[in-house]
Amino acid sequence: MALLEIKDLHASVADKPILKGINLTIKPGEVHALMGPNGSGKSTLSNVLAGNEAYVKTRGQVLFNGVDIDDLAAHERACAGMFLAFQYPVEIAGISNMYFLKAAVNAVRKYQGRDQLDAMDFLDLIEEKKKVVTIRDDLLERAVNSGFSGGEKKRNEIFQMAMLEPKLGILDETDSGLDIDALRVVADGVNALRNEERGFLVITHYQRLLDYIVPDHVHVLVDGQIVKSGGKELALELEDEGYTSWDSE
Amino acid sequence: MLKELRKKAEADFKANGFPSTKEELWRFTDVSRVANAEFSNEWKEASVDFQPLDKIVVVFENGKLSREKSNFGDLPKGVCIGSIMDLVDPRIGSLADAQSAFVSANTAYFTDGAFIEVTDGVEVDTPIHLVYLADADGAAFHMRNFISAGVGSKVTVVEEYIGETEKNYWTNAVTEVFVADRGSVDHYKVQRESAASFHFQTLEAHVGADAVFSNHAVTFGSALGRNDIRGKLTGEGGEAICNGIYLLKDKQHFDTHMFMDHAVPKCNSHEMYKGILDDKARAVFCGRILVQKDAQETDAIQFNGNLLLSRGAKVNTLPQLEIYADDVKCTHGATIGELDDVELYYLQTRGIDPVKGHAMLTFAFANEVLDEVKCKVVKIKIEDLVHAWLEKVSA
Repeated sequence: MALLEIKDLHASVADKPILKGINLTIKPGEVHALMGPNGSGKSTLSNVLAGNEAYVKTRGQVLFNGVDIDDLAAHERACAGMFLAFQYPVEIAGISNMYFLKAAVNAVRKYQGRDQLDAMDFLDLIEEKKKVVTIRDDLLERAVNSGFSGGEKKRNEIFQMAMLEPKLGILDETDSGLDIDALRVVADGVNALRNEERGFLVITHYQRLLDYIVPDHVHVLVDGQIVKSGGKELALELEDEGYTSWDSE
Repeated sequence: MLKELRKKAEADFKANGFPSTKEELWRFTDVSRVANAEFSNEWKEASVDFQPLDKIVVVFENGKLSREKSNFGDLPKGVCIGSIMDLVDPRIGSLADAQSAFVSANTAYFTDGAFIEVTDGVEVDTPIHLVYLADADGAAFHMRNFISAGVGSKVTVVEEYIGETEKNYWTNAVTEVFVADRGSVDHYKVQRESAASFHFQTLEAHVGADAVFSNHAVTFGSALGRNDIRGKLTGEGGEAICNGIYLLKDKQHFDTHMFMDHAVPKCNSHEMYKGILDDKARAVFCGRILVQKDAQETDAIQFNGNLLLSRGAKVNTLPQLEIYADDVKCTHGATIGELDDVELYYLQTRGIDPVKGHAMLTFAFANEVLDEVKCKVVKIKIEDLVHAWLEKVSA
């Protein structure tokens, strides 16, 4: 069974149609890259998938693990194994990263019918995941993303992903605003999480990230539609030619 | 001298009576309900539960010190704790002489209160817990507290006001605090009076050179109430921290008036107040920072944030700066808002359901204020009380 099956997806933001018929299937273990110019609908797709209520699905169907996502609220999608790494991670003053992570891990475990982690088990899990994505202890103690640098925020997203062990990771322009070192840390984290069951949708404007996270499939999104799909070499073509060949003018 | 002061205060109070909403400082808080009520002073025992924070606890029941319920612990040398009626200090009444009718009434009629004196260089590790229990219908409690920390001394004082649900009474407290040079007073006030009561308190602190006065006021109770918090930085290098949270529901009305007076150079003051309001509750926050002509290199910051959980709740917030020096760093700000949908969405994408997310964010909003609570047992107590309040509100 496919992990994610998007069929003829149309979606609007504030009554403006953005996605105009997307078809995309991700199988377990696959890494798909979705590339496209600004305004093509990349972030709209990630928000529709994650369940942001400001984004309205107007037509089509999305199946996640065979379940229609219309039947799942945002938190239920997360609990069922979908993870969205935000382009702009949200700062939350007054909630420590540790407390936030524990609440998230236990919410997911509860939904999946697994035992709640107590403080000791939780700390063990943190230590285990620190081997996958290195993160400074003081960032774990601080309020969620508050005063984090751009790179630290993105790293924190990948750390959360490691903690929640999703079936599908969606990375929404995780590379934006990162220098090469931060990019490498993020990519190493993602690569460490790749396995034959877990799928990824890597959304990006630039080819650069795909030097580090090598995709199995590349799709080009222009004006709300996938205009071309291919292997990893397609990303290199785009690097040379840009998105100009799909411009309407 | 105190006798004369009290006579004069009584005369003032009788002549002037309670303030009206025509007065600028009382514009948003109508105290006619207090003015029109009749209060008796018949004493009775109080049957209100309380949890001592630590070894030293001083209990006042219905306005009178209870030696049976109190525990003075093993006080270190140089520390004096007792009833203000038994102990004498010429400074009693010197700060809070006549700022308002409430202070005048207190000065004229106070019947008891705590006297705490820590001599030079003495550090008290155990927090001194002052508990005010109230369950006498129709009573007025004029409590007068005096706290003096000597040069280089250190003390933590927690005032906790606890009332029996639905009892009608009036607490009218005044606390005067003197922090001598290099001294430190870490002061807390937890107000969980009866939901039908009136609660007014004026706290006035003088902070010496390189001294620290820290105050956290947490308000849950009273139908109508007000805190007047007044700090004066009187020595260079002094620091005042005045933070607070008010959690209000039903038709509660609570007013916080803050006045921070920078009289000398090189002092810091910062104030962070957060309010969470449900139902038809009403809050007033008025914070005024005065930087006098000589108070160069002042660093002052003030913020008041409010979270409205209901459309019927209302806040008036007025941060004010009054600056007469030119080399200063002062900022102030205020917000009134609802929970942030983007934050709620972020939590949801991590598997946290909206009900839990709502509770987490509401708590987080208040929790920011507690960052500077240094006394661990107090922090835990306040956190528990805030959680309990939030559970009741969301139920």
